[in-house]
This record gives sequence, C-alpha cells and structure tokens, in this order.
Amino acid sequence: MDYVFTILILIGLFVILASSFDLVIGHCGLISIAHPIFYAIGAYISAMLSKQSGMPIPLSILCGGVGALLASALVAVPALRVSGDYLLIASIGFQLGLIELAKHFHEIGGAGGLTNIPSFLIKDFGRESYVVLVLVLAAATVLFIRWLTQGPYGRMMTAMRDDELAFSMLGRNAIWVKVAVFAIGSGIAGIAGGLYAHYFRFLEPDQFGLLQSSAVLTMVVVGGMRTTMGPVIGAIVLQLMPQIITFFNLPPSILGPLQGLLFTGLVLFFMFVRPQGLLPAADLWAGRNRDGDAGHSRKEARS
Amino acid sequence: MSATLEIRGLCKSFGGIVVADSIDLDLTAGRVLGLIGPNGAGKTSLFNLVCGVVKPDAGSIALDGQSLEALPTFERARMGLARTWQNLRLFPSLSVMDNLMLGPRAYSADSLVDVFFRPSQIRAHEAEARDRALDILERTGLSPIARSRVQDISFGQQKLVGVARAMMNDARCLMLDEPMAGVEGQTYALIQKAVRDIAASGVAICVVEHNVAFIRDLCDEGVFMFAGKVLARGSVEQLINDPHLTELYFGT
Amino acid sequence: MFDLAVVSQILWTSFATSSYFVLFAVAFALVLKVNKVFNFAQAGVMTCGFYAAYVGVRMLNLPGYAGFMLGIAGGVAMSFVLEYFGFAVLRQRKASAMFVFIFTLIASQFIAYAVMMIFGTWPTTIFASMFWPVTLVGGIAVSAWDMPAITATVTVLAALWAFLKYSRNGQFMLAVADNADLAELYGIQKDRILMMSMLLAGVIVSIGMFLYGTRAQVQASAATELMLFAVAATILGGIGNIWGAAIAAVVLGVVQNSSILFIPSAWQGFLLFAFLFFAIVLFPSGFRLPERRNTLKRTVVAPQALTDGKGH
Repeated sequence: MDYVFTILILIGLFVILASSFDLVIGHCGLISIAHPIFYAIGAYISAMLSKQSGMPIPLSILCGGVGALLASALVAVPALRVSGDYLLIASIGFQLGLIELAKHFHEIGGAGGLTNIPSFLIKDFGRESYVVLVLVLAAATVLFIRWLTQGPYGRMMTAMRDDELAFSMLGRNAIWVKVAVFAIGSGIAGIAGGLYAHYFRFLEPDQFGLLQSSAVLTMVVVGGMRTTMGPVIGAIVLQLMPQIITFFNLPPSILGPLQGLLFTGLVLFFMFVRPQGLLPAADLWAGRNRDGDAGHSRKEARS
Repeated sequence: MSATLEIRGLCKSFGGIVVADSIDLDLTAGRVLGLIGPNGAGKTSLFNLVCGVVKPDAGSIALDGQSLEALPTFERARMGLARTWQNLRLFPSLSVMDNLMLGPRAYSADSLVDVFFRPSQIRAHEAEARDRALDILERTGLSPIARSRVQDISFGQQKLVGVARAMMNDARCLMLDEPMAGVEGQTYALIQKAVRDIAASGVAICVVEHNVAFIRDLCDEGVFMFAGKVLARGSVEQLINDPHLTELYFGT
Repeated sequence: MFDLAVVSQILWTSFATSSYFVLFAVAFALVLKVNKVFNFAQAGVMTCGFYAAYVGVRMLNLPGYAGFMLGIAGGVAMSFVLEYFGFAVLRQRKASAMFVFIFTLIASQFIAYAVMMIFGTWPTTIFASMFWPVTLVGGIAVSAWDMPAITATVTVLAALWAFLKYSRNGQFMLAVADNADLAELYGIQKDRILMMSMLLAGVIVSIGMFLYGTRAQVQASAATELMLFAVAATILGGIGNIWGAAIAAVVLGVVQNSSILFIPSAWQGFLLFAFLFFAIVLFPSGFRLPERRNTLKRTVVAPQALTDGKGH
C-alpha cells in the first residue's frame, strides 16, 4: 500500500511540475528547461530551514517557494533584457552550475546528498494524509493555472506569443510579463520541491539535472501544451511508464538508460507524428486558444 | 499651437544605406498628413523610428512636448502613440474582439498584482474595454465577426481590425502604414470613414499610402519622401501634380 | 605556487588541451551562423564520433588512423540523420524555434541513452592507454599528444577558413548565413548548403572527439558538458563570429585550466558555468572583433527639392 501512496504522491508532484512548466513554456512561450532547478531550490531551502532552524514545515515549504521565485527572477531579468534565446542558455547554465556548486557545498550535503530531512504529517496522520495534501495541491495548481490563463492575463500571454512587436506597440510590457510568469511557474515548482523533500527526506543534486528536465519536457509535449488536462495526463503517463518497466526485472544498468530512452523516444515520436500531444483538439477543458475564445464567448453570452 | 508630434533632425543609416536623413516633421491634432514616396523612401522606417522599434542615430522625437527617445516602445504607446502595420500584425490565435480588448493604453490585467488582489477592478476595466470595443466594432461594421478568429476572416476585414485595434488606444497620435493596400469597395469606405472620424476627434494622423484617391480625399497636407529625405511639403494637389516628384515616384 | 616553471607548464598544457574545445566551439558556431540553430544535438554527434572511433580501435582492433576515419564517418552519419530526418522536416513544417530547440536537446539525450545501453556507462578511451610519452622542452613537459593535437586543430581551422573564403560552396554558405531567402532567389540551394554545414560540423567535432578521447575518458554524458564549453565560447566570441568563438575557446580553456593555480580543483567545473552566466549577463553580444568593412557605402544622392520652397 505504501508503494501505491508513493506513486500517487509522485504523480501529484509531477502534475504540479508539468502544469507550472506548461505555464512557462506553453502559455508564455519562454524557452527554458531549467524548471527542475527551481524544484531543487524549493526542496533544499525547505529542508535546510526546517532541519537547521526548526522552522515549522508549512512555513519552510512556503519559503522554499518564495526562494525559487526570487532565484528565477534573478536569472530571468538580465537574460530577458537581451532576448528570449538568452534565457534558455542562462537558465541551463544556472541549472547545471548550481548543481555543480551544490555538489561541493558540504553544508547542504554535497554530492552525497542531504539526509534526515524532517518529515511532515506522516507521524501524526499517516501516509494517506500526505497523499491527500499533495493531490489537493496538485488540483489547486491545475485550477489556478487554468484560471490565470483563461482570464485577461491569459489573453495577454497568447497575444505576446503571437506577435511580440505588435504587443509592445499596444502598450504592453513583454519583459515584465515574461519575468512574472517565469517567476510564478518557478515558485510553484519550488513549493512542489518542498513537498518532495519532506516526504522522501533525501535530496541529491544530480536528481535535478537534465534527466529531470527531459522528464518534465516529455510530460508537457506528450500530454499536450496549453491544455488544462494535458500536463496532467502527461504526468500520469510518465510516472506509470517507468513503474511498468520495473516489473520486467531488468538489471539497473539497463533500466536507467532504458527509461531515458523511452522518455526521449516518446517525445521525438510525438514531435514528429503528433505535435499537438496526446489530448485531442476537442478537449472540453481546453485552454483559451484551443478553440479560439470558446471559454470567453461563454462568458460573453452571459453579459 | 504646438504640434502633437514633433520630429527634429532624425537620422538613421543601416550599414551604408541612409534611411532617414535629417528629417523634420510635425503632426498636428485633428489634421491628416499624407506621407508619400516610392518604395524604399524610408516611410515605414520613419514609423519604426518614431515607435521605438529602431533606435535613431541622431535627432529628437517628442509627443505633446515630452521626449520619446529614452522610452521603450510600450511606453510610447502608453503615452498615446498608436500605429497600424504594413503586414497587419494581428494576433491570429485570438478573436477579433480579443484583439481589440488588448488595445487600450491601460490594459485591465497589465499587472499580476491586480489579477490576484483586485479582481473587481479588473472586471470593471474589462467591461469598459468591452463596451468601447463593441462601439468601435459597430462604427467599423465589424460587429458580425466580433467572435470570429482573425485567421478566419477576409483580408479586408483584417485590415479593418488593424485600424479598429489602433483606435482602442484613444491615441493622441495615430500612424497608419498603408491602410488601403489591397483593399477596395465596402472596406475602403469603412476605413475611410473611420480615419475621418478619428481626425475629427482631434487626433494627429499620419498616413503612408500609395492610393492617390485616398490621399487626395483625406489628407490635409502631404510630405514627399525619397531616399530618406523629406524632399517636398505642401498640399496634396501640389505634390501630386509636380512632374519632377512624379518622375521620382515612378523611377523614370 | 607561482613558480615560473609551474605556470608555464600549466599554460602550455591548457593551450594544448584547448585544441578540442576550439573544434567543438567552431563547429557549434558554424551551425549557428549558417543554419541559425542552437544545435545542442551536436553533443549527440560528438558522442557518435567518439564511439565510432572507439568501436574501430578497441573492438575491431583497427589501427589508429582507421579508427580516426571511422570516427569521422560516425559523426558525419549522425549529422546527416539529424539534418535529413530532423531539421529539414521541422523547417518544412515551419516549426517554431522552441520546437527545434526541444528537438536538439531531446535528440542528444536520446543518443546518449542509446549509447549508454549499448556501451554501458563506464568511462572509456579510444586507445587502451591514455599514456603519451613526454619530452622535456626547456623545463616544460610536452606530451607526444600535444603537437599532433595542435597541428590537427590549426589544419582544420585553416582548411575551414580557405573553404569559406575561396570555394564556391563556402561562399554559398556565407550567403545563406547572411540571408537564406535571398540566397535562394539567387539560385543557391538552401537545403543542400544547410546539410553541407551540418556535415562539415560533424567532421570537425569528430576530429575534436578523437583528440579528446585519446587523452581523457569519455562516457555517454561527457559530450553534454563539453558542449557547454562550446556554447560559452560561441557567446563570448560573438554570435555569428566563428573565429571569435575559436579565440574565446582558447581563452576559456586556458583560464579554466590555469584556475587550478587559484582555486581548488573541485571548483573548476563550476567556474565554467559562472563564466557562462556572467558572459550572458555582461556581454550578450560577445567581445566583438572589429568588423572589416567590406560593405559598399551606398548613399543615394537626393535630387534638389522643388515646390514652393517649403522643402529641404
């Protein structure tokens, strides 16, 4: 049963990661793959604050989120002043550089990892409570992002993606929108990181590198960008797939690369065969530009 | 009365090509200035310079006395500068209505702080913007296609949407880049009427156009540009009838 | 610590080892310039180039030069696959830059995993031994690897320069780099040229990996880290400036290796990222080499103004 709980929690965390990443890359059109590093920042900050200074965990998780948000703004502001392409390179450099740094930073466990992270809820209420917590927050994330992208802010993001120059000429500050969305997406990932840290109670810098980036990218591309349920489906598929492979009892040296091969192979397949992802175009929960402004016209009809 | 838009000594060259050679220009409230000249004369470049898409090598631009040089494009738009584009630049993923809703100088959801903490203010702004949009759509005859996606309407209608979107800005100065290119009949009449109405409301307008009838009909005065220089100014009749300018225009 | 002998040794060795970095950077910069793509899949090409040579020398027991040719063949083959089945298709579909980037990243990861499955994750080298005899030249230990590496790099750079400057295809390449659509109007087959530049890059990085793999250990993930170097050098050198990237690669190589004098070796890896980050923030357009003005200065003489004196 514990095994099932862990899977559910992982799915929940992946849903949060995938949805927040879709906000950044899908809705806002920012090319970045460094999402996992903000997940890591949230996890490490929450772990250290609660472990070293005894901060209550809900607060430390929140701090983790804020820390991730601020870090992402720190990367985005200088990079975006130049261009969107630079954000990509700056964020990769930031991700890999921070991982490298963390491996040498013995105060946070170094390459061997951070252990004995305080647990949350489980002692008092059992594992089920944690599962509920994560799944509720996952649902909240999905709904929040849907609300944001269906409203006037979402309209702005779509326009910016369509034609940034015309967008600016209407008086909209593109850089500010990009930084804000990047920060929010990363902050949400940071909170997910905190949730991860206090359940698995072990963090290691290499967990948050390019393999994780590929995984998050896969979930969004395969599930379907800019749809509400796309990242959710992508997260479920991506969690269940490796679990199914583990049942084949392959040696670990094959297992790892095979999982990676499957992730990346899946993305490549979808990119060339079905670029819109798993979700069919007529998704009822579709985000605003799947069917023009379907969501909007429903509201319009009322007013 | 001082001009709404004042351009003084504007210069710009790309590599070896001079696109703006010490240009002086005034746009006055309520008057329509026609910018004419052959292709490559630097007309669209002038628009790009005024909007901040391109940085000038020298010269000054002022809107209502306020200097624009240090301001990025979006700030200039917020100060009351609006334009349409030669290649339309509408937002294809959005409907006609949504394209217009993005037009106002102060957009309802510009700031996330407002989105999170002032939802009622946003609703109020949205309602206001929607009313104005509906009004403009009415005046430009676009109401029937308000919900349609921009990619699904005809080219003429798209051009109208471009003008309508620029009208949402409530601009002090409007620059139209070939609004009549590829347009005829009903749409022509609608754009013409729209431009007249905008001018009547006290906006300074500059139009780049090749369509002589349009210029003759709507422009109060004209400016002839060639190779980045302002060669001649005067009434539209004078410029059109000048044989030397006609020669330059047709490149004989 | 600042013993002259030690410093000179480090400078020499870091200069020699920057040879492969130069090749990686130049290839990346070339593809960026001509194909207008940040080709992260180059890591995949590099991996193929290495493992092809590895298979030749270690598994088929071929002599060094045969392994070298096989390595090049491997790299070129992968370049071909990427361009023909990947980039060309995406170009036809008018895929967005983001899509193309995701493709390059995922493709390089895919190749890395495939290689991991076939060859395992143990680090290997092309020749069974990494030992190269050393000669002392004026107190500096010069490895028998150094001179061939430097010579190979200089030869490649010279050949590339000559190709771009004097050959027809090289000129076409520069035309496509400048304005691909205009080049097509002049009858230059864009697709053929783009393929050519990818294949050329494939040759260059395969040579680079042969150099690297005969001196250091390689595993499937090595190429990704080497790529970061190439990216940093390209940005510092100025995007579009192949020779700037080459110089930046040498500088970065020397700096990174000589940093051992100042910082503990454990931190050397981090230094690169710090460099990359600051390069982007402070020098987004790179250190531009002064551009030679070979554009004609065209100013059109405007005729006299006429009309009623209101003109200029």
